[in-house]
Amino acid sequence: MPAKLVVEGLSHHYPDEYTGEDVHALDRVSLSVEDGEFSAVVGPSGCGKTTLLNILAGLLPHTEGSVQVDGKEVGGPGPDRGVVFQEHAILPWRTVARNIGHGLEIQGVARSEREQRVQEFVDLVGLSGFEDRYPHELSGGMKQRCALARTLCANPVVMLMDEPFAAVDAQTRITLQEELNRIAIATKKTILFITHNVDEAAFLGDRCFIFSRRPGKLKATVKINVPREKRIWKDLLSEKAYTDPRDEILRLVREEVFDDEE
Amino acid sequence: MSVLQAASIGLQKRFGRQRLRKILLGSIPFAVLLVMWQMNTSMEWLPPVYIPPIGTIWEAIYTLSEGCAGAGAVLSMQYECLFTNHILSSLGRVGLSLVIGIPSGIALGVLAGMSRRFAHALEPIGVFANAISGIAWVPLAIVWFGTGWLTTLFILLNTVFWLIFFNTLLGVRGVPRVYENSVMTMGGNRWAIITQVYIPGALPSIVTGVRMSMGFGWRALIAAEMIGGDSGLGFMIFVSAAEYKIEEVFLGVLVIAIMWMITDRLLLIPLERWTIQRWGMVWRPD
Repeated sequence: MPAKLVVEGLSHHYPDEYTGEDVHALDRVSLSVEDGEFSAVVGPSGCGKTTLLNILAGLLPHTEGSVQVDGKEVGGPGPDRGVVFQEHAILPWRTVARNIGHGLEIQGVARSEREQRVQEFVDLVGLSGFEDRYPHELSGGMKQRCALARTLCANPVVMLMDEPFAAVDAQTRITLQEELNRIAIATKKTILFITHNVDEAAFLGDRCFIFSRRPGKLKATVKINVPREKRIWKDLLSEKAYTDPRDEILRLVREEVFDDEE
Repeated sequence: MSVLQAASIGLQKRFGRQRLRKILLGSIPFAVLLVMWQMNTSMEWLPPVYIPPIGTIWEAIYTLSEGCAGAGAVLSMQYECLFTNHILSSLGRVGLSLVIGIPSGIALGVLAGMSRRFAHALEPIGVFANAISGIAWVPLAIVWFGTGWLTTLFILLNTVFWLIFFNTLLGVRGVPRVYENSVMTMGGNRWAIITQVYIPGALPSIVTGVRMSMGFGWRALIAAEMIGGDSGLGFMIFVSAAEYKIEEVFLGVLVIAIMWMITDRLLLIPLERWTIQRWGMVWRPD
């Protein structure tokens, strides 16, 4: 299978906003995500996960190393990479339907086709009946579904997700994780999902990339060999194919966290 | 059921209980003022040269309207004619200042809000201009433009433009970065970000700017018309006072206040309701 997203020797430095000191955020990161693969990036806070995502999205310029999507070097933001942000990034002044169709609108897709595509994704994320609502009328979970549908509807080559479920309550998070899995099956999207939550990474990822503390390095890669269709929380908790790699990831992440306190 | 009860229930149905209570409470101070005004006349506390009887205000409308029939007289803005001319004159200036001030204030405010360089260039002059209250420009404006339209418009624009500029600037700066980033990652260009993110995102602030600029502008205009105008409500009041036509002064003051309330209630508040309130960006306690 061809790799859709290839990162090679990526390093990043930036001056601290207040002190002006040089911050070494990423150190020679190399990884690749294959077509249709769901990859998760896990690491302690401040390991450069969000920096990585911003570089991949093209929001931050990178000086060292290369980032390629579909064989093309990334040189700025573009519709080939869709991003689901941590905060609620859907626009408050647009209805659910107009938010979801926003990417297509920017791409200049004709209204009739756009409306059809929007409806498809409204249904996919379970927002039917809420098309004409404004974001402030939605719950936190519904807002993130809307954000997810907006990104999917623009049909990006790679979908980048930056801790999208961090701000919702625990029950909603479980539902959203299962739904994202269902959507990943339905759309076969290539996904890079960033999280600090080990359970979430192991539940969703085909492969998990574990990052070290700053400067963020790729410390290890762990594969989770559970078929997508079997990824349902109530079944998975006693499944060794899930718990073993999850414990392994947990151990790797804890090493990074507890180093700090010694 | 008494007529009064029936009327009360009818009104409640028409406006809703909460709203009706609000309207009634808001009317109390006005009612007190009116009663005291009427009592002043009947009890002969202060003579009519200071406070004219309520009835004479109506007569003033009539005398002021005399001899200014026809569109020609209205358009010519001769100050001998016309109550309507004065109203239209003041309104026209406010309208014109908004037509010029809103787009230019928003345009430059957005530019300064998104570009550090523009902000550095425009902010100091903005603070400088804002420090000089509208009325302080009047003597200079009279020297430059004489009395009349240009002077009054200049004073108004000075108030309107900078308020809208600053409010837009602050509004754009307050738009969460993530909205801009999300539109950029969808492939949106600068123009898309300006029209789809910055302007709607800054709208709560822009609407506040427009409301403030209308409030302050209206006051500055009346003052400017008194000294540097040749028409308008401010001018009318000034001339009437000089001629000891106290009822015309009263009428002018009332009209100024009523016109402001109408613009605020009928134009600005509905505008707010249909945009930023609908989007959940601000809310009203009621």
